[in-house]
Amino acid sequence: MNYRPFDPSFLLQSIPALLPYLQITLFVGISSIVFGSIFGILLAKAKLSSIGPLRWLAQGYTYVMRCTPSIVLLFIVFYGLPKLVDGLFNYQIDDWDRSVFAIITLVLLFGAYVSEVFRSAYLAVPRGQYEAAVSIGLTPLQAVIQVVIPQAMIIALPNFGNSVINLLKEGALAYTIGLIDLIGKGNLIISQNFGAYAIEIYLACMFIYWVMALLIEKVFFIIEKRLDKGQTLKTVQTVKQDKKRARLFLIKGVKFHGPGS
Amino acid sequence: MDLDLDFMYETFFKILGGISTTLELTILSLLLAAPIAFYMAVLRLNDAKISSGAVRVYVSFVRGTPIILQILLLYSLLPSVLNTIVQTLGINFNVFDAIDPFFYAVVVFSLNTIALLSEVFRSALISISKGQLEAGLSIGLTRFQVYIHVIIPQAMVVALPNICNITVNLIKGTSLAFLMTVKDVLAIGKIAASFGYNYIEAYIDVFFVYIILCTIIQVLYTAAESKISTFRAMHV
Repeated sequence: MNYRPFDPSFLLQSIPALLPYLQITLFVGISSIVFGSIFGILLAKAKLSSIGPLRWLAQGYTYVMRCTPSIVLLFIVFYGLPKLVDGLFNYQIDDWDRSVFAIITLVLLFGAYVSEVFRSAYLAVPRGQYEAAVSIGLTPLQAVIQVVIPQAMIIALPNFGNSVINLLKEGALAYTIGLIDLIGKGNLIISQNFGAYAIEIYLACMFIYWVMALLIEKVFFIIEKRLDKGQTLKTVQTVKQDKKRARLFLIKGVKFHGPGS
Repeated sequence: MDLDLDFMYETFFKILGGISTTLELTILSLLLAAPIAFYMAVLRLNDAKISSGAVRVYVSFVRGTPIILQILLLYSLLPSVLNTIVQTLGINFNVFDAIDPFFYAVVVFSLNTIALLSEVFRSALISISKGQLEAGLSIGLTRFQVYIHVIIPQAMVVALPNICNITVNLIKGTSLAFLMTVKDVLAIGKIAASFGYNYIEAYIDVFFVYIILCTIIQVLYTAAESKISTFRAMHV
């Protein structure tokens, strides 16, 4: 058997054919991020609440989602939700767009992941911040919204960025329920060519995903640097202290070794 | 909505039979990946420019692309590559019939796990202070002995929670092996469902099996963590 050699030009040609379908992937991804974040905030709030059953419910939900393969959840939602809605409300949703089922699945997953991110970020802000804000006359709600949450957001950013990248990767599963997104289109091109060019197409899809992941990483890094007001102040202070200490050592005639030298 | 409970009950035990495949796949991938990942982590810590750059690109590529694409790519790539190798060597061996898809699944998941583990090992090794290595060398141990007896036990304490995460994610990830016709938990559920279109029942069974499986794994790791916590590095 002879094999056609790997064809890099086909890889490059296929990218313009694939890119229009990226918007479907992005549509599914971005809607899931928006709704998933709202769901995640609610879950985090439930986990921090003083009502026991609410807390257990949210924690139990997160645990179950952590143990569920995304593809299994996707299949359960895709096959089960129409039946459930039909049984409860006698309403047919079988013909809804498949992207809806993909988005519902991803919202369920993403909500669970980011609820942990939000919860730990909220707890990472020192309690004194809230107390100080209340002591200068802010109401508890103002203190949380204007003082605690902005700081928690910065702490949450790196993990939130990771979750976004993971969500995007899990969104790639949507083609298994027949959604024509990036990979769905890739598979169509492969079958139009009778199974040839699979390697080139899949590589093209991978490069598109890789570039997206790198871009998201970069964007989150930039936002983090921008918003990092509190931290920057701290670093300026430590640098100043270090210089002061260095001067002290110089006066004593001892050579100063900075960290790492 | 009514679920066929009899079917669910029967299928649940059928699906349990797939656990062995899922676990074999997970454990084999982890065992194959661990030494290579450790070597990669050490490469990145030493200032070897080219090799550490190559490792970084590899890790970034694996972490930046969906595992489903890695599976699709390697599942179309590996058989023909192997076939070409076999042909050029002149061995009479039919790659397409003789090799169990399980083998390809192990390769895919190992390659994926290598990248994730190497990051975990790297961050764990960074957390051990250089003084530990110097102290070990100064009392006459070889570099290899220091790594085995001093550094790795301490690094393991740091790495174990992350390794637990990777294992749980790997178990979840192996559910995609059904794309390579490996008969794991999900594949058995899918096949059982397709006889009578009992998809939801079968997938709910699969869902429960994965929750049980992941719970057991996490309990085991927690036990292991408390066992090796004696090696916890002292931070003064």
